[in-house]
Amino acid sequence: MATTTTTTAVGEPKRRVLPPEFNVFIGLLVIAGIFELLGWFVRGDSFLFNLQRVSIIILQVSVIGIIAVGMTQVIITGGIDLSSGSVLAMTAFIAMSFAQVSSNARAVYPSLTDLPVIVPVAIGLGVGLLAGLINGVLIAYTKIPPFIATLGMMVTARGVANWYTRGQPVSFPTESYASIGQGMMPVIIFAIVAVLFHILLKYTLYGRRTYAVGSNEQAARVSGINVERHLMLVYAIAGGLSALAGIVLSARGQTAQGGMGLMYELQAIAMTVIGGTSLTGGRGSIIGTTLGMIIFGVITSGFTFIRVSAYYQEIIMGIIIVGAVVLDVYRQRLRGRI
Amino acid sequence: MKKFLLGVAFSAVLTSSAFAQTIGVSMSELDNFLTILRNGIADYAKEKGVEVQIEVAEKDPAKQLSQIQNFIASGVDAIIVNPVDTDATAAQSKIAADAGIPLVYVNRQPANLDSLPDNQTFVGSNEVDSGTLETKEVCRLLKEKGKGDGANIVVLMGQLNNQAARQRTQDIHDVIATDECSFMKIVEEQTANWYRTEATDLMNNWLSAGVEFDAVVSNNDEMALGAIQAMKAAGMSMEDVVVGGVDATPDALAAMKAGDLDVTVFQNAAAQGSGAVDAALKLSQGEKLGNVVWVPFELVTPENMDKYMGQN
Repeated sequence: MATTTTTTAVGEPKRRVLPPEFNVFIGLLVIAGIFELLGWFVRGDSFLFNLQRVSIIILQVSVIGIIAVGMTQVIITGGIDLSSGSVLAMTAFIAMSFAQVSSNARAVYPSLTDLPVIVPVAIGLGVGLLAGLINGVLIAYTKIPPFIATLGMMVTARGVANWYTRGQPVSFPTESYASIGQGMMPVIIFAIVAVLFHILLKYTLYGRRTYAVGSNEQAARVSGINVERHLMLVYAIAGGLSALAGIVLSARGQTAQGGMGLMYELQAIAMTVIGGTSLTGGRGSIIGTTLGMIIFGVITSGFTFIRVSAYYQEIIMGIIIVGAVVLDVYRQRLRGRI
Repeated sequence: MKKFLLGVAFSAVLTSSAFAQTIGVSMSELDNFLTILRNGIADYAKEKGVEVQIEVAEKDPAKQLSQIQNFIASGVDAIIVNPVDTDATAAQSKIAADAGIPLVYVNRQPANLDSLPDNQTFVGSNEVDSGTLETKEVCRLLKEKGKGDGANIVVLMGQLNNQAARQRTQDIHDVIATDECSFMKIVEEQTANWYRTEATDLMNNWLSAGVEFDAVVSNNDEMALGAIQAMKAAGMSMEDVVVGGVDATPDALAAMKAGDLDVTVFQNAAAQGSGAVDAALKLSQGEKLGNVVWVPFELVTPENMDKYMGQN
């Protein structure tokens, strides 16, 4: 087990090789630099040297960033989780329905209003963990591919979200619930989650097992890891993080709406992969994913800053995503790592 | 053949109980808005002593077509269709016309509107009105605030491939092209895909880029609310900026009550429902209505908002 981690994490001990995250960081600098240049050209103003903008760049991606943290550990095991956006929506609806104020005449549960904030948060997290656990059990014990298991959950959880209030939006949360998403709270929550999972993945048994399962499942099994139990844990945690994202997002907008979280899983996957996590498993880090996430934020804010027409944004975004990964693969190959 | 037999069986069940006039209704699906429309049909029909049979096609055009065939087979006096696919209405029109049964489309404008037979019509709201009403009111409010000699506006667009988003955005441009409102200038125009938080992010980006504006014109209420959140968080006074949306959702009306939202537009689902029943009854008595019966969009402002509380 120990050998698998060392060979995959960092290269040969003799030459001091830069960590793979360094590439991503350079990519981030290049992209930010381009926007900085275009910013002076279009607006006659600096894009980056504005504290307010830098905080917005991170704020607008931190909800998806929370999902991306869970996604990173799933992808490191060699799996995928397509259900995140739907689980987010499902938990947003369910949590919000227990977070409404009594002054709202159309509360989902008129007798269960003005509850302390811990109730909707606990219920929401519980729902997310359960959804993730179901993913994990399906993947670990029925051996169906993660793509299919989580695709099923994607459709089902979206269905639950729509069924729960028959498509009716859920709004008017208590002040304490709304405060979870106000100001820079989403960034703080993301930061806590990111640091926690950075430590978990890098310095604990949980992390070593995660990399081991993704590098070589057979070897992991032989070395005594209960692979099934570990996969269940990884997917359950990913579900829990999707739920946390759902809670933060619904608190931020102070509403749960039908189309919430649509395509969030794909953005989270893109952030993770841009951040250097390998889709084949065994390689990746939270630092990389965080950088990938910031790249997304920079691009989104940058487009608005230099006034790119909305019709071109998605086209350019797609090209950047693929371009970033192609570049990374190319550089890895140059170093003989793949 | 199977469907036909099923239709015959249905008709046997139906005709036995149908002494009064009967209208068959096929709804595309039942979301928040269409549920109100459906109830509008049911309530008004009850009032008029008409029997209605309401089916839901679950967004399936094939299912909708067979529902219409079943209605025809059971000999209803008229049919009301809330089309699943507005491009697939020609086939629906044809089978109803062949059977000589009046057909009323409701809410969603059929693609074959211009070639509808005499005993068919469309009851709905003219999408052109919503964005126009909204923008004209924003224009009026800006003048009232003494900004009639030059005002910057930012536009929040809905999903780019959506017909309503395109139309409402076009309406904004059209109103600005008129002499009375030509003092308005669009300084930014981006999409937030109908969503509240996306609009918050977009507005944050604009504010941080130093964009200055006097009004926010949004394709729907949700995005207007998102923009309001961002502006309030940035310490802007909502007195100074005019914010307009469309839909008159409960959240939007609450924001209007709080003095944050200035303009929204109400699409009267219940009136579309009762209008459709009215049209169906008139057509079945041989009256001619033309291609379209418009149910007007209604402008909602702080002065008249109480009337709309709890309607959507």
